[in-house]
Amino acid sequence: MSAEETEQLAAQWLAREDRGLSAEEALALEAWLAQATLNRVAWLRLKAGWTRAERLAALRGAAPAPEVRKGLRSRLLLAIAACLALMVGGGALLAWKLAAKEQVFATGVGGMQAVRLADGSRMELNTNTRVHADVTAARRTVTLESGEAYFDVVHDARHPFTVYAGNRRITDLGTKFSVYRNADDVRVLVREGRVRVDILDKPEVDAPVVAEAGHAVIAKGGETLVMAKPDIANDLSWRSGMLVFSQQPLGEAAEQFNRYNSRKIVVEGEARKIRIGGSFKADNVDVFVLLLHQGFGLSVNDQGKRITVSR
Amino acid sequence: MAEQPIDEWFMHDVLPLEPMLTRFLQRNWRNEAEIADLRQESYARVYEAAQRERPLQVKPFLFQIARNLMIDRLRKQSVVSLETMADFDWLNVSDDKPSSEAYVAARQELRLLQAALDDLPPRCRQVVLMRKIEGLSQKEVARQMGVTTETVENQVAKGMRLLAQALGGRRGAVTAEARRYNFFKKPRDVR
Repeated sequence: MSAEETEQLAAQWLAREDRGLSAEEALALEAWLAQATLNRVAWLRLKAGWTRAERLAALRGAAPAPEVRKGLRSRLLLAIAACLALMVGGGALLAWKLAAKEQVFATGVGGMQAVRLADGSRMELNTNTRVHADVTAARRTVTLESGEAYFDVVHDARHPFTVYAGNRRITDLGTKFSVYRNADDVRVLVREGRVRVDILDKPEVDAPVVAEAGHAVIAKGGETLVMAKPDIANDLSWRSGMLVFSQQPLGEAAEQFNRYNSRKIVVEGEARKIRIGGSFKADNVDVFVLLLHQGFGLSVNDQGKRITVSR
Repeated sequence: MAEQPIDEWFMHDVLPLEPMLTRFLQRNWRNEAEIADLRQESYARVYEAAQRERPLQVKPFLFQIARNLMIDRLRKQSVVSLETMADFDWLNVSDDKPSSEAYVAARQELRLLQAALDDLPPRCRQVVLMRKIEGLSQKEVARQMGVTTETVENQVAKGMRLLAQALGGRRGAVTAEARRYNFFKKPRDVR
């Protein structure tokens, strides 16, 4: 059994202990600990860390309940806590630091939104995107639930800007980058500077990659690929409402259009492989299919919600 | 004089050395994926040895055990590259850094913990926060967050692992490691 698996079991046991063990469970735990010294040391190690975290209780009272999205009342409390923190200053700064102040931003299909965050960083949401932002001067966290967002980060090494997407954490090392997420498929494009990408649910792997400007990180499950991406400007052209293709298969280009429009293009058969280049307005499906018809002689069948393109 | 129970001894005298041990292993072992195994194995050997007799000086003892373990593993590999051997930090073994580093002052400790807490994914962080700072029970946390008790239990387990990882000094090591290998890491075997 690997150290990781043992640690996982140890964590499960401690989490159960933390909620209270039944007599039966207590016996089972004893047996598990007696079974191997490796079990016992893994358990002791996590227990020591968790016990050390008891010290965090010293912050009790300084911190308002870290409830998020609990409506007006808690927001009011939060505001009051924040004011108090400002007045009292010093130690009470912790209150502000620990207060979760989460905002939700979302765009629908075809929508786009630019947001200036509290720390001065800029975030641009692409089509059909949903993010939670928890950004104060002291803590800068954004969670990308789905879709794509571009970040132009005001660098502050003491308070790293982190984006959570699926099982990855992307940490800014002074930079402009975008993150795309579709379920467990996470892609990061670095336009300037560098970012670090960590895996979250396998802490023992802990093999972060650092990607520099002009590179893409493609992550799925436990695997991570870093590749040079000379045409990053094309991939980020959505920021100006454009889709730029350079010799991409038509099937992929259509999928790009479909991210922005509720009328979906379906490319059938051989036509999917035709390579196309050019730049198009993301929301102008009609012109795109018209050009396909005129340029490649493809037949276009417009059924309203669905536009079929074939040879 | 009665001896401290061994579990207590292990938590107070051995585990605080983890950041140093991790750095030592990372300097001397190329395959990052095996560091955790080496660390756990070293701990187990120290624990078992201490059951027979407690070492007088913990740090040199721990490092000696870790070193022996690495040598054992190198011997078992059928092909040992010269590079690996040359890399091995043979001389710089018993003394890493001043040991005061292992015992951080209370204020620093709080800062360290807070940094570790800040690094947790948002949901996990909230659970740990409510459990540890607010002192709520897991059940109460589940009620307030409107999630199942299983979810809270899972997040607690996850939080424990990530906290141990952060406190064990893997964070700082991570950046250095990332720089060394730059982009590419071998994908780990998928079970």
